[in-house]
Amino acid sequence: MKISFAKPASAPEGALVVTVLEGRQLGATGQALDAESGGTLARAMAKSRFEGKKDQTLLLHAPAGLKLDRLLLVGIGKGKSFDAKAAQALGGLVVAQLQGSGDADVTLAVDPVDGAALSVAEIAANAGFGAKLRSYRFDRYRTKEKAEEKPSLKKLVITAAEHGDAKKAYQPLEAVAEGVFLTRDLASEPANIIYPETLAEQCKALAETGVEVEVLGEKQMKKLGMGALLGVGQGSERESQLVVMRWNGGSEGEAPLAFIGKGVTFDTGGISIKPAASMEDMKWDMGGSAVVIGLMKTLALRKARVNVVGVVGLVENMPSGTAQRPGDVVTTMSGQTVEVINTDAEGRLVLADALWYTQDRFKPHFMIDLATLTGAIIIALGDQYAGLFSNDDKLSDKLIAAGQAVGEGVWRLPIDDAYDKQIKSEIADMMNVGGREGGSITAAMFLKRFVNGVKWAHLDIAGVTWSKKDGPVTPKGATAFGVRLLDRLVADNYEK
Amino acid sequence: MRIHFATPPGPVSARALAAPSTEAEAWLARLDQNSFKAEPEEVLPILTDQGWRVLVGIGERSALDDSALRRIGGSLFAELAQAGIVHLAVGLDLSPEQTAQVAYGIFLRAWRTSPKYRKTPDEDEVWHLAEVTMLCDAPERARACFAGLEAVGKAVHFARDLVVAPGNVLTPPAFLEALGTIPGIEIEVIDPKKAGLNLLQAVGQGSVFKPALAVLRWQGAGKKDRPAVLVGKGITFDTGGIDIKPAKYMEMMKGDMGGGAAVAGALMALAARNAPVNVVGLVAIAENAVSGRASRPGDVVKSYGGLTVEIVDTDAEGRLVLADALAYAAKKFTPSKIIDLATLTGAVEIALGFERAGLFTTDDALAAQLFAAGEAEDEKLWRLPLTDLYDHAIKSDIADLKNCSWERGPDHIHAARFLQHFVPDDIPWAHLDIAGLSEAAEDGPLAAEGPTGFGVRLLDRVLT
Repeated sequence: MKISFAKPASAPEGALVVTVLEGRQLGATGQALDAESGGTLARAMAKSRFEGKKDQTLLLHAPAGLKLDRLLLVGIGKGKSFDAKAAQALGGLVVAQLQGSGDADVTLAVDPVDGAALSVAEIAANAGFGAKLRSYRFDRYRTKEKAEEKPSLKKLVITAAEHGDAKKAYQPLEAVAEGVFLTRDLASEPANIIYPETLAEQCKALAETGVEVEVLGEKQMKKLGMGALLGVGQGSERESQLVVMRWNGGSEGEAPLAFIGKGVTFDTGGISIKPAASMEDMKWDMGGSAVVIGLMKTLALRKARVNVVGVVGLVENMPSGTAQRPGDVVTTMSGQTVEVINTDAEGRLVLADALWYTQDRFKPHFMIDLATLTGAIIIALGDQYAGLFSNDDKLSDKLIAAGQAVGEGVWRLPIDDAYDKQIKSEIADMMNVGGREGGSITAAMFLKRFVNGVKWAHLDIAGVTWSKKDGPVTPKGATAFGVRLLDRLVADNYEK
Repeated sequence: MRIHFATPPGPVSARALAAPSTEAEAWLARLDQNSFKAEPEEVLPILTDQGWRVLVGIGERSALDDSALRRIGGSLFAELAQAGIVHLAVGLDLSPEQTAQVAYGIFLRAWRTSPKYRKTPDEDEVWHLAEVTMLCDAPERARACFAGLEAVGKAVHFARDLVVAPGNVLTPPAFLEALGTIPGIEIEVIDPKKAGLNLLQAVGQGSVFKPALAVLRWQGAGKKDRPAVLVGKGITFDTGGIDIKPAKYMEMMKGDMGGGAAVAGALMALAARNAPVNVVGLVAIAENAVSGRASRPGDVVKSYGGLTVEIVDTDAEGRLVLADALAYAAKKFTPSKIIDLATLTGAVEIALGFERAGLFTTDDALAAQLFAAGEAEDEKLWRLPLTDLYDHAIKSDIADLKNCSWERGPDHIHAARFLQHFVPDDIPWAHLDIAGLSEAAEDGPLAAEGPTGFGVRLLDRVLT
């Protein structure tokens, strides 16, 4: 769907959307239309339950006294609480309401909102961003979809007095949307299409945007001693990969920010094989790596003034004659040994080597890893927050603030030494699982042993990577949770 | 076991272990470095010609806060109670205040299940240690410090006694009787049927024992001071009801009144210390039994607070009895704050394991107070989300609320959110889900495997 910005039309035609504040208070465009039509809008509102509360809508077909085919009134609630997130939700709602309406072109009229801190340009840009995000659809494998089943909406024109400024404000947001779409695509792709080598190819494609990409194969990783990562991939026919992506937008020599992603392109569980029900969801067990890849794209597209390195460990966890067995002991790149009690707790094994490699080679300012790591986090926090584990209070606070700003909430959970005893092994330096109770915490405690004291945060995104229902700016399916959060973290704190 | 305080022969500092000629140094010199590192909580008894000598690791003196001292005391008891030592003198060159904390640790750890449940005592549980003499300068000062701590310690033991009691012993009437024995505490028993506590009644109606709401009062401050209200879940045995639990480990469900025990213990401690505060303790007591009269899944019950509840799972009963108790607390006592404790969900154990209890509140100040008290007392908490984002899970097709969701998800958060509906917004309220902490699966520094009395010390500290 195409988003464009234009000056307000003097005589709008076709399909138009106008905003209404709580208390049936029409915006400037709505007031003009109401006057022109002799009170059609006011009458329609009065005859319905539409009060202009947030997310309420009222659709008028061929409204009397106007040339419009369709007029959608959208409630935006109270002006005071109308912030960027609300503007994005407005755009998302317009798309959700009208994408199957039959209209190919829709105009959204953005007026100043009484009481809001946002300028008209900011409202317009954020509404465009929300609309873009909500318009995402993964339909490349539908070959026989009928025309009436496809979205009709092709173009959203956002009219605003400051449309030039709006367009300018939209540009970096569009870069974020591009990153989000890449992440959603990668997570949605089935595992026979996206596997370690093809996912590495996707990373290489980022070279177009100015990202330097380097791919390590099994031979190189073996040389580096990445026994944990390689152990996970050894049951698969596909070769494991470690991809390093670098965006150097900051000053030379400045320590980079490092983002590390778990990229298990399909997770059968290995010899500790998973039950069949819903196993297909395990195609998105590379969600963490998809976020890192999408984030790199976003940062490069918007030419972020910061040095960033993205590292993704890509493996396929398969049962086979060559697969690792429960009880196997592997030696990580750090030299620490791990007893693999459960081959289905493989994400932490991949991350262990990726984290150690990253701090060892890049001496980063911080490391943030993302992983669809544990089922326990789905019990701990549900689908509303990602779990945040960190050895640094300031970094945690920044992540929490960024999450609130973009609507990708993170909730901090503890990493006390007391939990360490759960991963004590009888034979090696540690086990890769610590039991059901506190399962996400013991996974984080495991990872902590591979960060070598570097400032670090771990985001367990298993509960938020895939959504079963539509959100304001996220259609159901792959959410790309993390791209907007981390883009915001970088933009607000680390760019000069 | 008795604990005394006395002055050592000669000033303590003169007996410090620093002097190379002391006996301790001599023993240290003979020991392999790995067998005794003098790390905190390390205890090594040595049988010499002159009798027992014990080396105690205390780590760095600068790191000896109250918590570390208590843990050292607890380890001393754990290691030595059955070592053949009858009378132990402990001289660690500590101040009277510090010495009292070590004694407190010993006292807290020195609990075991009453022998009344056996005909003959279990050999493995016999303590040889009968007397501990804590040596320090100004022993009377240490003794005075210890008196306040011991009062709390006794209340912790009381809570453990309640939790460990079997379901046929600690029935609802027996629980009420036990609560009636707390010195200095008035008790009033509310009949849920008469009072309209219909959720509490619904949970208890399958049992041959009548459910009850126990009201415990401690009036340590002026009459006009609004009381803090503590609310405890007191399910004396939880079969799950018609949604019956699997047989394996169901006997653990005798401990499903751990929240109520903590509330009772807290009242006992406050009264014994004559704390200058007003506190009301409500214990919602019921047996969740299976019978022809039991509540069925799908039953809709009108709560004391007025909201109707669809009981989709009879095994999510704790939140039902708490809901009525919370609404009752808000209506009857004009509370300054309400804190409830419950062994409520299995989900909180998945979230936080056995090291921290779940803390739910929308009041940041109360959250900070509780968190700090938990850190100070080693009864640690962790705050978890409490927002309307989770409300879809407890939306009923037929009533105002349902008591849980069958979907796999954060049941502990859903439960907390459920409870929130029964507390008026203007009363600071916190909910503690202590399911993972009320009993310990392995020995800890201050409690052996079994009931911990979790919550008593935390509440005692946070209310004073």
